[in-house]
Amino acid sequence: MNKQEIKQGITMHSIETDKFKTNLIAVFLTTPLTRQNVTKEALLSLVLHRGSKKFRTQQEINIELEELYGATFDYGIEKLGNNHVLKFYIESIEDRFLPKEEKNLEKSFEMISDIIFNPYVEKNGFKEEYVETEKEKLKQIILSKIDNKGTYAMSRCIEEMYPEDPYGLYKYGYVEDLDKIGAKELYEFYQELLRKCKIDIFISTSKREDLKQLVMENENIKSLNPRDPEYKVNQIEEKTKKEVQEKEEHMEVSQGKLIIGMDILKCEENTRFVSLLYNAILGGTATSKLFQNVREKESLAYSAGSSYLKTKNNIFILCGIDIENKEKTIKIVKKQLEDMKQGNFTEEEIQNAKQGIIETIQTIPYEQDTEITYYFGQELSNTNLNLAQYANNIQQIDKKQIVDLANKIEINTIYFLTK
Amino acid sequence: MQIIENSKIKEKAYVEKLVNGLTVILVPKENTNKKSVIYGVKYGSIDHKFIDPNTKELKEVPDGVAHFLEHKMFEQENGTNSLDVLSSLGVDANAYTTNDHTAYLINATNHFEEAFDELLDYVQHPYFTKDNVEKEKGIIGQEIMMYEDDASSKVYLNLLKCLYEVNPVNIDIAGTVESIQKIDENILYDCYHTFYHPSNMALVVCGNFNPIELLEKIKEKIISKPTQREIKRIYPEEKETVFQDKIEEKMNVSNPIFVIGIKDRPVPAKEKIVKTIVIEILLQILLGSSSELYQELYEKGEILSDISFDYEFSDEYSHIMMAGQSKDPIKILEKLQNQIEKIKQSKIDETYFKRIKKKIYGGYITDYNSTENIARIFLTDYFQGINSFEYLEAFSTITKEMAEEYLNEIFKKENMAISIIRP
Repeated sequence: MNKQEIKQGITMHSIETDKFKTNLIAVFLTTPLTRQNVTKEALLSLVLHRGSKKFRTQQEINIELEELYGATFDYGIEKLGNNHVLKFYIESIEDRFLPKEEKNLEKSFEMISDIIFNPYVEKNGFKEEYVETEKEKLKQIILSKIDNKGTYAMSRCIEEMYPEDPYGLYKYGYVEDLDKIGAKELYEFYQELLRKCKIDIFISTSKREDLKQLVMENENIKSLNPRDPEYKVNQIEEKTKKEVQEKEEHMEVSQGKLIIGMDILKCEENTRFVSLLYNAILGGTATSKLFQNVREKESLAYSAGSSYLKTKNNIFILCGIDIENKEKTIKIVKKQLEDMKQGNFTEEEIQNAKQGIIETIQTIPYEQDTEITYYFGQELSNTNLNLAQYANNIQQIDKKQIVDLANKIEINTIYFLTK
Repeated sequence: MQIIENSKIKEKAYVEKLVNGLTVILVPKENTNKKSVIYGVKYGSIDHKFIDPNTKELKEVPDGVAHFLEHKMFEQENGTNSLDVLSSLGVDANAYTTNDHTAYLINATNHFEEAFDELLDYVQHPYFTKDNVEKEKGIIGQEIMMYEDDASSKVYLNLLKCLYEVNPVNIDIAGTVESIQKIDENILYDCYHTFYHPSNMALVVCGNFNPIELLEKIKEKIISKPTQREIKRIYPEEKETVFQDKIEEKMNVSNPIFVIGIKDRPVPAKEKIVKTIVIEILLQILLGSSSELYQELYEKGEILSDISFDYEFSDEYSHIMMAGQSKDPIKILEKLQNQIEKIKQSKIDETYFKRIKKKIYGGYITDYNSTENIARIFLTDYFQGINSFEYLEAFSTITKEMAEEYLNEIFKKENMAISIIRP
């Protein structure tokens, strides 16, 4: 990975790889997550893909993508720590696999930069019709939160844990904000955001000498101002012990979803590596305590496991269970947490966890978007660990550190989605 | 070993049928440390009635046996669980069951040798007991309940219930909470011995290795079994038209979701290739993101999502699916039917056709981006009687006239059905 500053606050990251048939370009706009702007930012990611100055309609965009041998343009919005990130991707076939040279990478960059930095404008604002249709679309996206019960339960648990913190916000925003957003105001808001946000451009392709030139000479990039970007560096968050809160929510479901959100009351240099190992042993793999005890021994669940949220220093436990088994499951889960505190796990379990994590790290370069996501995570946390260093840090952790951490993990919220 | 090659995407594959009947496909790749293996059985959820090739006896088993077997294969006689063993090595290991096949897979950068041995070993060594089979019923029961709450699985299964009256493709792959209660260790052993015979299986490996050496190793590891005749599978006679044209159900969702289906007739392997590509092109022309109809629906807010397309086929079934979210799914169906008639009349625009063909071609190349995807493609195509490179080679033969012919033949109103889940 090679990192170059294009202008202050605008960084290009090039990943030279010959593992793929495709080029992947990603552009991320990062800005602090706030209640005031969350809905507008979500709406922007939708409105922008409707048309640019060069490709004025969605139709024109889609035709160009088809001409590029089915290139795919994708966009999304994500919470990363206390930042809100507008993400844009374009993937296209590398020229060497096409019948003739098509300049697919050049054309792809031209297109993505036009969509993001040179939107279609009418009367000093976004096109009204685009904004109105996308407002309706966003409204439906926000409402569709209930459709997937597992992810719904997870985001509800997070909201209960972070009532006052930006991270408790829903990344797609709120229906009640939508009425107030007009096409002109949204455009002005975007101009302001573009002046201040952090901009990262990732290009993953086979070896080329002219990548920086390709970016620097792009008219849309030239028009951007240098900036001291406004964003929140992702650091491990300090937490204090809180009283456990229990929440139950009712919906028409046949299976109950139990989510237990936990705080890690430790924030040292290596906390994230120890936490990764703790999570792997507790519920991250098929040999983990939760999978073995909740699923394999007691047959209570098909899915039973845990995940680690690095940016907020949390661990979440998720089990899909029969509704009447809630208390029984909680009891078994608590027993596993206690076993972790007591150090009731073997050197072998630690070794297995390490191997699993290291394997995951080593496979990162085999997926183009995962590799970009990894380096973007490094960028936002202001760290510069390559994959080998990362693996090495995992290798260094010992049992004592994991037990110490286990004794600093406290349940914050027990959330249950039930009938 | 037979070598097949595609110069455009610069890939080649080695194919060998072992003495015991197992087909081995090796796809060597440079510049990678990752190896992906998929070990498949031509045995899926629809194979619930068959004639035992050894006893000649007719057998009918409860729904969900193929999937149940997949769950239970990991357990070993020495008390270990192979999923745990693989997971301890840090290897990514998994298994899945579809309507027509079951597959066991690993992806590894480190510990490939041990993981590969474990995979070959556990799939060849079943160990079922009364207790371990009973215990699994709770886990699979929760898996079924999870899909019960999932509207997108439900809407899809309901569509198959519209299209098919008797073909078992209309039953959930995992079976039902009731049907799995009837499964015991004897049924599992019976089905294992019938279907998990090398002549009914295939092994695909993709990654950095020497194919000659790897093949030798595989030969050593595969247990030889007495030759078995082809398994006669019995499927009920299914009529050509749809069983019902609509199923609606209510669930806790934000907006109605729908799948429109078109029932088609299964064709021989040779025809599958051209037909698949042509159908993919036609679906884009009818309702893809640059199509006239999609633009109209999107701008009027009549659809709330992109339409996703799927074309599923085997020797026993064949159907097209178009899924989306809309306030008024019936209107989408009507507009689609009108659009089909309109294009049948006006014929397909040549430039448009060429552009969509380019797009679909690009999609086929992108499929070769990862070792696990390559392994999966070769396995599923093999079970369809196809060598995967044939798709890439077929492109130059595909014409607009072929597309028009298939449009007339397949896209008929009487072969269409819709499944809707409403809030």
